[in-house]
Amino acid sequence: MSKADDDTELLRRAAVGDETALRGLFARHQTRVFRFVSRLVGNAAVAEEVTNEVFLEVWRNAGKFAGASAAATWILSIAHHRAVSRLRKRREETWDEGAAAALRDTADDPEEAAQKADKGAILRRCLEKLSAEHRAIVDLVYYHELSISEASAVLQIPENTVKTRMFYARKRLSELLKAAGVDRGWP
Amino acid sequence: MSEQSVEEVEREEVEMLLPWYATGRLDRADMARVESYLARHPQLTRQLDLVRAEQEQTVATNEALGSPPAGAIDRLMASLPAARHAHAPWRAGTRLFEAVAEFFAAPTAGGLRWAAAAAVALVAIQAAAIATLLLSDRGGTYQVASGQRAGDGISALVVFTDDAKASAISKLLAEFDANIVDGPKPGGVYTIRLRMEDRSQAAQAALLRRLAERQEIVRSVLRGRD
Repeated sequence: MSKADDDTELLRRAAVGDETALRGLFARHQTRVFRFVSRLVGNAAVAEEVTNEVFLEVWRNAGKFAGASAAATWILSIAHHRAVSRLRKRREETWDEGAAAALRDTADDPEEAAQKADKGAILRRCLEKLSAEHRAIVDLVYYHELSISEASAVLQIPENTVKTRMFYARKRLSELLKAAGVDRGWP
Repeated sequence: MSEQSVEEVEREEVEMLLPWYATGRLDRADMARVESYLARHPQLTRQLDLVRAEQEQTVATNEALGSPPAGAIDRLMASLPAARHAHAPWRAGTRLFEAVAEFFAAPTAGGLRWAAAAAVALVAIQAAAIATLLLSDRGGTYQVASGQRAGDGISALVVFTDDAKASAISKLLAEFDANIVDGPKPGGVYTIRLRMEDRSQAAQAALLRRLAERQEIVRSVLRGRD
């Protein structure tokens, strides 16, 4: 049985109230969800709360899982919705972008500071400075390795928008890198 | 539409597909389209290098976030009573072993399809070579994707250069009194453990700097979570 089949079976069991199935789903997906949410909300404590909310929603709505996408994609779509809702609720989207970047700046420990001269470190810092919308698409594609259709399902946007959003996220990244002194020669 | 603008449109469309080409997540038709374009326009491989660098650092950034705090599952289960009404009664307790088995079978985030990408296949070949050599050279201290940590010291996330030989990596690890405790993750990221007695911030920074300077073997280094 494939991982996707296992997930579907766990969701089927969760839908009829099997708590061990929810434990199984949590064990399989908690790290993926926690990291995705963390990158959007920029705070580990909030990310843990939101991760908890995600799995409660999975528990409540397992019976509604239609299997149109993989269970992992469905869970990530709940995570995205929850994280974005949390950002909107707190009305901190604008604050969060600048403040989170500033907090990360001040939170650098000596070894991180020493690595700032490294191109990889500069790239990582610029990735963190992308908007939440752009961070989400970049993470879904590069880290969670979703296909175009899967990213479309998670973000609830058309596939062509997925492609253009990723394209503009990469362009924005180039702009940030250029401002940081790294000219990639693209676009 | 002029011939030039047709060409520009095609280039932009292919550029848009490159991130998925790099992760091996394109359908067959788009994969063939990108490969055909790359064969006709080899200068676009420079773009592909940028994409791969972006993926590498995105993976490192995510891996550095660590995992949810211990006890997260207990907090989730404790909050279930309020949500229980959504379900019909279910006789629990007979499937604990299944849950435990599922826990240990849990995949690493983002690692489900990495073998599909040609670029990552290279990482796999290198990983196999690293595993083989380190098992023999270092008495079997290397354990792929175990997340195990050995001894006192600090963790670092490392990406080796594509052409780094396993023997050179093994030698480097011995020189730094380090071993690999996890990986490879997507993007070829490994977690290594560096043993050190002086664990002051300055000493840690100096050690990581020395490691990063070995650019013939190490492409990038990021402080990991202990």
